[in-house]
Amino acid sequence: MTVFAKLSLIAAFALSIQGCSDTPQARAAQAKAVGAQRLQALRKRIAAADADASKWIPVAEWIMPSQLREISGLALTQRGTVLAHDDNMGRVSEIDPRTGVLLKSFALSGQQKGDFEAITIAGQDIYLLESSGKLFKFREGADGTQVPFTVYDTKLGRECEFESLTYEAGSSRLLMACKRILNQAEGKVKELRIYALPLPLGDRSATTAMTIPIDEIRGKNKWKNFHPSDMTIDPFTGNYVIIASREKAYVVITPDGDLVRAASLPGDHRQPEGVAITKDSLFLVSDESNVKPPKITVYRWRP
Amino acid sequence: MLRQLVDVLTLKSDRPGRRLTAYYAILAVVVALLYYFFPATIRGIAERGLGDVSEGPMVLTDALTGTAARTGGPFGAGSIGALSATTVTILFGTLALMLPVSWVYMSARPAVGHNQAVVQTLIILPIVVAGIVYIVQNSLALAFSLAGVIGAVRFRSNLRDTRDLVYIFLSIVVGFAAGVQSMVVGVIVSIVFNYVMLVTWRYDYGRNVLTPTASAQWAWPLQTLAGPTGEREIPDRDLVLSLTPERAQALADRFDRVRTVLGKKNKKPRFNAVLRITSDDVPGARRNVEIVLDKMTKRWDLDEVVTHTGKPCEIYYLVKPLKSVPTDELLTSIHAHAADTITSADLETAQPANDNKKDGSKA
Repeated sequence: MTVFAKLSLIAAFALSIQGCSDTPQARAAQAKAVGAQRLQALRKRIAAADADASKWIPVAEWIMPSQLREISGLALTQRGTVLAHDDNMGRVSEIDPRTGVLLKSFALSGQQKGDFEAITIAGQDIYLLESSGKLFKFREGADGTQVPFTVYDTKLGRECEFESLTYEAGSSRLLMACKRILNQAEGKVKELRIYALPLPLGDRSATTAMTIPIDEIRGKNKWKNFHPSDMTIDPFTGNYVIIASREKAYVVITPDGDLVRAASLPGDHRQPEGVAITKDSLFLVSDESNVKPPKITVYRWRP
Repeated sequence: MLRQLVDVLTLKSDRPGRRLTAYYAILAVVVALLYYFFPATIRGIAERGLGDVSEGPMVLTDALTGTAARTGGPFGAGSIGALSATTVTILFGTLALMLPVSWVYMSARPAVGHNQAVVQTLIILPIVVAGIVYIVQNSLALAFSLAGVIGAVRFRSNLRDTRDLVYIFLSIVVGFAAGVQSMVVGVIVSIVFNYVMLVTWRYDYGRNVLTPTASAQWAWPLQTLAGPTGEREIPDRDLVLSLTPERAQALADRFDRVRTVLGKKNKKPRFNAVLRITSDDVPGARRNVEIVLDKMTKRWDLDEVVTHTGKPCEIYYLVKPLKSVPTDELLTSIHAHAADTITSADLETAQPANDNKKDGSKA
């Protein structure tokens, strides 16, 4: 057998394995077909969940790919999809929570690495929050691209460690719930603190803080503390919905700081790090990889 | 095939630098061809570990029903087929990178001979490391599990030459690079490493002025090996490169001993073949084989028993078969009588032509 014949055989074998199914177009076609089937299945599950409102059962649960092994924040887009990001990498993925299709991924230019904890969308701008309180501002990019960004240091990292960020459209403010107050010992935390930063950013003196007594949040629950890991705005009431990874719980607070609800999260959540609520009443919780694979779980939201 | 291609490119030059360059040129062409046909896969294993983002939608696994991305067919994105293809590419890429490293290891050694175990380790270790890293990736739990498993295995070895350690380190680096799918790093590191090693060897970098050069160290034992006058040319460069002065001396001594056994010039040799038996049961093998030798040879003599740890021992006989007994028949009888005690039997004869003629005349 000649060298050329051998090479041809190898190429033919590789082609047979790879096929032509790995092109973006082929992937899109596959995703569209699967998405249509899954959408039907989701409608049935939602109907079943609505029929028995006493139980919180997941209507969908999507396992994340390796690039979202440490999925952290979730942010809802105008299209009804969510932007998700990994804890260690400045890389954002858009996911359709109804069909479980990862639509695209783009990254901050220069493959930024850091301790990214939360994401939110404010108009055309996207904000990515580092635990130290630094905000990375950028615009949405196309699939496979890198986007330019600017960094804004809130200087709040001296007081708090952050994992939560959301945008309150009504007041045009970014909200950041404090996970851990640095000058308070773990057992002596007295309050849940939420900072509000008016947009556009720049005037640090305009930052305000709202506090809710931790005893009030604890209530009858057995939690010793409450460590927010992400927050979002309920699109129906405008209340703040905050989840806590350590306590595996969520609280609902009015913009005035009144507690509406404090309860454990439904289902089995090993490390809930992200939350979002869609306009069609889907409650999304993302868990990073911890014994179980990383996932986004979808529930029916009941305000 | 690869050797033929390298020969063509280097015009059959035996200079390590040229052959290395030719190999990398061939490798570059192969990678370019693969990249032309499968750009996504090659880019994925070349630089994914550096944080690149994939293009195109991806169907995620539905944990409620268990239906995964494989709905698009067995070789879709994220399927078993794609995973297998990526794994195979990574492992063969690692192999392709480590082959020239092993050649450099065997060639560029001025003072101390190479260790075959290290050569094989250089090939195997990075493949294993790549596999481990590919599985572990960013999972802390898996990493701890791996540490526990490796902690249970005693892996200790003393390396004779500190440079061997550098080669082992390189193999680990290449394995890691392949495992995290940053093959570009592995490629660059191994290429630079190989050329640096070749240059330092070629120019004896760091040699003490009082110690002889690498070639001078070889001169005496190789001349002894070549013949009594030392004028005969050494025919096989690979053989020369693989020998240390001590080994060359030992080989020369052995040639002398064999020459003594065979007899002096102009005298009919007492033996004309060497029988090599491998066996785990040396006494049993000797008993059975020697019965056959008694019957089918004019004379025989046990030359050497070489014992090994972890693999069969070797028994060497000097023999002079009966003229009426073809070598194949002798080997057949040995296998027939000693099958349960030997692993293999080989007969190297000084007169293959006679045997062939005999066999031919019988046919």
